[in-house]
Amino acid sequence: MADSYGQNCNRCGFCLSVCPTYLAQGTEDASPRARIQLIDFFSDHRVGSSEKLKEIISKCLMCGNCASICPSGINHPERYVRMREKMIRDHGDMPGIKSLVYLLAKESRIRMAAGAAKIARKIVPQVFAEKYRLGSIALKQFPVLNKVPFRAAARDAMTHKPGHKSKAASGLKYGRVAYFTGCATNYLFDDTGFSVLNILRHMGVEVIIPETQTCCGTPMLFHGGREKVKSNVNNNLACLDAQGIDAVIVDCPTCGAALKNDYPALAKEFGLDQDAANRVAGKVVDISSFIMAHESPENFPQNDEMIRVTYHQPCHQRNHMPTPGSAQALLNALKGVEYTQALDMSSCCGGGGTFFYEYPEVSRGIAKKKVANAKATGADFWVTDCPVCRINLGGYLDESAGLTVVHPACVAARFLPDLKGRTRQFN
Amino acid sequence: MIDPEAINRLKEIVGKDRCYDSPEQLACYCYDAYFEEAMPDLVLFPCTRDEVSGILKICSAHKIPVTARGAGTSVCGASIPARGGVVLCFSKMNRILEINTKDRYVIVEPGVVNADLQKALAPFGFFYPPDPGSMAVSTIGGNVAQNAGGPRCLKYGVTVDYILGMEVVLASGKVVRFGSRNVKDVTGYRLSSLFCGSEGTLGMVTSVILKVLPLPESVSTLLVTFDDLDNTAKAVADIIGAGILPVALELMDRTTIRTIEAKAHIGLPVDAEGTLLIEVDGAKEACEKEIKKITEKLGANGAVSIEIAKTDEERDKLWQARRSAYGVFAKLSPSLYTEDIVVPASKIPEMTRMIVDIADKYKLIVGVMAHAGDGNIHPMIPADKTDKEEWGRVKKAFDEIMAAAASLNGTLSGEHGIGLAKAEYLPLVMSEDAIAFMGVIKKAVDPDGILNPGKFV
Repeated sequence: MADSYGQNCNRCGFCLSVCPTYLAQGTEDASPRARIQLIDFFSDHRVGSSEKLKEIISKCLMCGNCASICPSGINHPERYVRMREKMIRDHGDMPGIKSLVYLLAKESRIRMAAGAAKIARKIVPQVFAEKYRLGSIALKQFPVLNKVPFRAAARDAMTHKPGHKSKAASGLKYGRVAYFTGCATNYLFDDTGFSVLNILRHMGVEVIIPETQTCCGTPMLFHGGREKVKSNVNNNLACLDAQGIDAVIVDCPTCGAALKNDYPALAKEFGLDQDAANRVAGKVVDISSFIMAHESPENFPQNDEMIRVTYHQPCHQRNHMPTPGSAQALLNALKGVEYTQALDMSSCCGGGGTFFYEYPEVSRGIAKKKVANAKATGADFWVTDCPVCRINLGGYLDESAGLTVVHPACVAARFLPDLKGRTRQFN
Repeated sequence: MIDPEAINRLKEIVGKDRCYDSPEQLACYCYDAYFEEAMPDLVLFPCTRDEVSGILKICSAHKIPVTARGAGTSVCGASIPARGGVVLCFSKMNRILEINTKDRYVIVEPGVVNADLQKALAPFGFFYPPDPGSMAVSTIGGNVAQNAGGPRCLKYGVTVDYILGMEVVLASGKVVRFGSRNVKDVTGYRLSSLFCGSEGTLGMVTSVILKVLPLPESVSTLLVTFDDLDNTAKAVADIIGAGILPVALELMDRTTIRTIEAKAHIGLPVDAEGTLLIEVDGAKEACEKEIKKITEKLGANGAVSIEIAKTDEERDKLWQARRSAYGVFAKLSPSLYTEDIVVPASKIPEMTRMIVDIADKYKLIVGVMAHAGDGNIHPMIPADKTDKEEWGRVKKAFDEIMAAAASLNGTLSGEHGIGLAKAEYLPLVMSEDAIAFMGVIKKAVDPDGILNPGKFV
């Protein structure tokens, strides 16, 4: 059975060598080759739909390593997503995941849930927080929600209310950009959001944070919510495809990959504005690449203190974004930053969107190696672009670890003035 | 069907976490990198020699077929459980037991991945030479069972040349050890050489002592083009004749070069009839001397262009064409059939022309790549295996290619093995008596024929 590109798996097994679940488990059923074979066997009616089949297909981090190494050019992620839809249709999904898909389909629902979660966290006694886990991650290690969603906080802080533009620092150097914040920055990691904003302002760029943006849709797509993604794509295209926008800045590689690679195909599938999708896709750029292309990061203000950092390369940055080395280039260029590469810098952390929640044991096995190798570099900060990697890796690092996970933008913006002109102290 | 009582006892040995019996899990073990499929009844993941022995005792008592598997990258179907029964998967028995570079050996369990062994040896400044194309994932156990080779085996030899000793569990469950830790050892029959390449038909290797070598100080690489295939082969013969044994001597024919260039646009000379990728390694001065000598020989044989890599980056660039060949051909059609014949190195041009003529006759595309120094040729034919008519032509073409290789005093396989793929061609290159002799050996160690049944012996 050939895939949508007319390609057939030759079973060479190259994908096994890069698959984080195969490397962790050492069994064929945890490999990309097996997933593709079973998808084929299923469509030839040689294996039937079952809970077990669903597990084999879904026990996958969706990192895309298999597709990048495949000599036959199989589009693994696309085939997995289609098969996941069928399996979830037949056998449902974990309640936690189902509610997530429901929430992400509408911004108002995400906002409400974030509010409720914040209240819940306040009333959960500390003793439970110590004991309970969200998948592989201890609840006490889970990031605290933003006090106010980042986009609302940024809007209030920006001087120009109408259109929520930031004030250009000293004349427009590069024009105007739209900042697609993603859900994680909006609800969990506002430090990333403010850092991005401060960097763009320092660079003299006019920033627009479109108010109607919403979840990029990837988590829903991975969990059988294809039909729910349509309105998200539509909303995001409508607000990002604006006149005079020179670039669409992303801080999360998964959002970036969705906007850049998936939206044109999804727009076609859903009968939405394909030209708009192509225009937006062409403008998407991650913040590190944007800095490297338009600014000399060595000129960013610094103090005398030297910090030591290492880096974890998110799978979607490596496999789906055009400049996978952008964050490392940035770290190397920044003054006052000593970058040491970890041994397995580019291997998956085991987070995989919701994987750490669904398959905690496998996830833990994968993450522990990463943590040990990062600690071995002697770094104070573990830099990574992806918020799920940050949640996952941060989950293994309490105060005693002496290692904090941060976004590259946070490192770059350490000594830049904030929206009120103050210089923040980094962490 | 296996006796349920036997199944229960087998499950007890490994425990339920290391035993697969659901149809979905079994389906993941019905294939390897070859085209056929056969369902096992049970997949077991042993972690110790005693577990392997216990499993084989039960299997031989109940006459249950047992097929060994590592990463399942056999391209001849050696790890397909052709008669069902138990798949014994060694992927979890993967410890490196000893690294002793002072005495130049390592001891490993069969599930150790070739590339992981290289990684473990590198800090000591050592390496394990056999480098099959699958080395990033294939296991030492599988490499030993298939007597795997690789590009650099021209200079360094194949797997069997590196086996000093091994521990094997026979069909009966009996554990035997052959060889020693010594690089020189002519004590008794060299039995490890018998088991190496037996494709899991004689016993299960549970640990192996391998010879390792110090890493060469430096590597030099050249890419050469010719406008005549005969000249390409003459140059190869001259280089080796001059006493130089390159670490790799890779030949690509016209179709291979043109196809790669058309897809990958890396600036290959599309009017070349043959290209050679040559690599030498050793002490820096020796490499320089050899490169100089090689360039002279190439010039004397009418090389059209010679590119020498000066940096690692340039070296990668020269290898790019050779490395992308499989992928480029795999993308030409839904399936890709690759073969592994060998002819005396001087016969490469003749064999290449025969392959191209046969493919033309059956209206198929063929790319010819060869490890030219040792005459090991990999013709690649892209086709669609679901198209019965076309697949039938592919099969006929390979029948003729096998016969052609035999007619040039060649043989069926240089490094992939026989498995399911080439069992029918054995009589082309082995006498009846020789085949019968293999049968005698097989009968002596596996009287009930439970080990990897349905294969070449």
